Amino acid sequence: MKTGLTVSTVGHAAVLLWALVSFGAKPHDAPPPDSMPVDIISMSDFTQLTSGAKTAPKAPVPKPLVEKVAEAKPVENPAAKVSDKPEITTASAPAEAPPEPKVSEPKPEAKPAKTEAKPSEAEKKPEPKPDAEALKKDESKKHEPKKDEAKATAPKKPPQPPQPKFDPKQIEQKLALLDKRAPQRHAAAGDVLSSQPTLGAPNGNAPRLSQNEMDALRARLAACWNLPAGAADAKDLNVEVQMLLRQDGSLSAEPKVLNRSANPFFQVAAESALRAIRTCAPFDFLPVAKYEAWKDIEINFNPQYMFRS
Amino acid sequence: MLQSGHNSSLLITRRTLLAATAAGAVSLLAPAHNAAAATRVDVTQGNVQPMPIALPDFIGGTPPDSEPARGVSQVITNNLRRSGLFAPIDPAAFLDKGANFDATPRFEDWRVINAQALVTGRLTRQGDGRFKVEFRLWDVSGGQQLIGQQYFSPADNWRRIAHIISDAIYERLTGEKGYFDTRVVFIDETGPKERRVKRLAIMDQDGAGVRYLTRGEDLVLTPRFSPSTQEITYMSYGQADPRVFLLNIETGQREIVGNFPGMTFSPRFSPDGQRIVMSLQQGGNSNIFAMDLRSKTTTRLTDTPAIDTAPSYAPDGSRICFESDRGGTQQIYVMSAGGGAAQRISFGEGSYSTPVWSPRGDYIAFTKRGRGTFGIGVMKPDGQGERLLTDGFHNEGPTWAPNGRVLMFFRDPGGNAGPGLYTVDITGRNEQRIPTPSFASDPAWSPLLS
Repeated sequence: MKTGLTVSTVGHAAVLLWALVSFGAKPHDAPPPDSMPVDIISMSDFTQLTSGAKTAPKAPVPKPLVEKVAEAKPVENPAAKVSDKPEITTASAPAEAPPEPKVSEPKPEAKPAKTEAKPSEAEKKPEPKPDAEALKKDESKKHEPKKDEAKATAPKKPPQPPQPKFDPKQIEQKLALLDKRAPQRHAAAGDVLSSQPTLGAPNGNAPRLSQNEMDALRARLAACWNLPAGAADAKDLNVEVQMLLRQDGSLSAEPKVLNRSANPFFQVAAESALRAIRTCAPFDFLPVAKYEAWKDIEINFNPQYMFRS
Repeated sequence: MLQSGHNSSLLITRRTLLAATAAGAVSLLAPAHNAAAATRVDVTQGNVQPMPIALPDFIGGTPPDSEPARGVSQVITNNLRRSGLFAPIDPAAFLDKGANFDATPRFEDWRVINAQALVTGRLTRQGDGRFKVEFRLWDVSGGQQLIGQQYFSPADNWRRIAHIISDAIYERLTGEKGYFDTRVVFIDETGPKERRVKRLAIMDQDGAGVRYLTRGEDLVLTPRFSPSTQEITYMSYGQADPRVFLLNIETGQREIVGNFPGMTFSPRFSPDGQRIVMSLQQGGNSNIFAMDLRSKTTTRLTDTPAIDTAPSYAPDGSRICFESDRGGTQQIYVMSAGGGAAQRISFGEGSYSTPVWSPRGDYIAFTKRGRGTFGIGVMKPDGQGERLLTDGFHNEGPTWAPNGRVLMFFRDPGGNAGPGLYTVDITGRNEQRIPTPSFASDPAWSPLLS
């Protein structure tokens, strides 16, 4: 009797526990849906676009626009700046050109003494210091003709200014002219992403694509998407692609596949998704006013519902 | 928002009720998954249309080579079109004739005509008389090369190279193995209806290069390809009882399989090619036997008073499907490869016969007879998802392409006409007739040659 009771109690308790754990551990996993804007009338559009404006906290110091994380570009070549000044002066007074560099050059020269050794020798002829240093290293015989050379170069200063004229920017421009490749946009690079702050709070009621606009985009992509029949049979085949767009709706970068799969058809499916995006572009029907919402879109190509056999 | 609040209140009550399951409950408290920052779009609909592909003629290294070069590209074009998955673009639309094989193509010219893929190639005759065939497959939208390969072959074997290139293109663009570098054995039928001469013949899968393997004195039926060797097994009526034979295609050597007292029929190889499974007639019924080709030992697999026949192995060799009338009508059963209890898997109207297991393992093809028609269909190995791919007066004898995507069968339109060979995609679309020199029946598809 007693054993029966204990067995029954333990059994019931076990069943109850199991039920609570197994049923309780799986709540309805329904994340709160994002509120979705509706564009029934233009008024709603208008309110959306302006709603965030007044409450938005103002960023104290606006960071420079950085759209992709990469090594930041060097600011400017200091040598280029130096070269600017002599040019101007030679144009106005070529005779006075020699003294001019004296004023400007010592500053950048202070650190890299080695590279600019020659001009300093030439100009600071009375000052023995750099010469003396050179003397210690060099032989005395060699030094003599060098001094003469320096003397000779000194009066010939006017032809020299063109030499520091070297401007990497100009070369870049010329190269750009020679480059026949299609122009590609270089997104501003930096070590931290910071997009252009828009009017309104970043996540509050920032402009979003309405259902109609999303549907238009979806329909356009579906029309361009041609799934290879082999991949069609593999039903658990999702391809997530990131698409970066310019304001005119064209691709600002190559679309990028975000996920991976061991499925043998994945590569083919991923290529079909990329092909769909490339053939569909430009997406010029998207509203420019909401550019922030569609400049970076994640598209999930999912053939799961296409085939039910 | 409302929903998440509801969730958490539910949780709290659970926790107070049951402290023991606290750990489980904690996992429930995990924050709901955040919505992604970027706009997300789900695309769940697309097209399954043949992919437009541009195949300009291969370039000949020297002017006399341009003839076989064009032949290679035409065989490839034909293969891809017949597969139903590609739509070769009419060469008249080409803006660029692809005159330079070594240069990157001008992709804009191919985008304009909506080509998604481009194949360029070159054929050159080597010093020793062989052909060197090179090809490149380009993704037009992405502007990059997907594959580039070269092959050497004897000059008279260029069709084979074309089939191998077709397979490479097919596999790269669909993700599935190709089936173009294969052959088909079939029964060639000539002569009037009442006195047909049936010869065993072999050809490429596209109908080219027909070669006869028997001379036609004996009636031959149901040839089957070995999956691993260049051998076929078939049934032949000689002077005595019909017997199962084994024939080496290369040497022409022939032998009788097994030494049974009665009639043996419907043979088929095991996936490893080491065994042949077949039916043996004993009185009014027949049973299934397996014979090991090396040790010549035979094993009885079924022992029923019914007609058990048409056995076919699963690709992993673990099970056998066969047809049996033990339930009254002919139906499909599945049993272990070692014999034992069989499970019926076909339950539709009519009768089912000649089941063939797909090389992929996902389907069993069969011939279904009912209401005066014969159709070819497929079902999953558990009997689910039955689909008829074609139906009509007489369709019979399905055989799988090595990639398990295409079925070949023979169709007899009735009347005075004779049977012909057809292929159909596993989806039931893209039915194609295979050109044969005369009437043809009982096809059997070979595995990939390379």
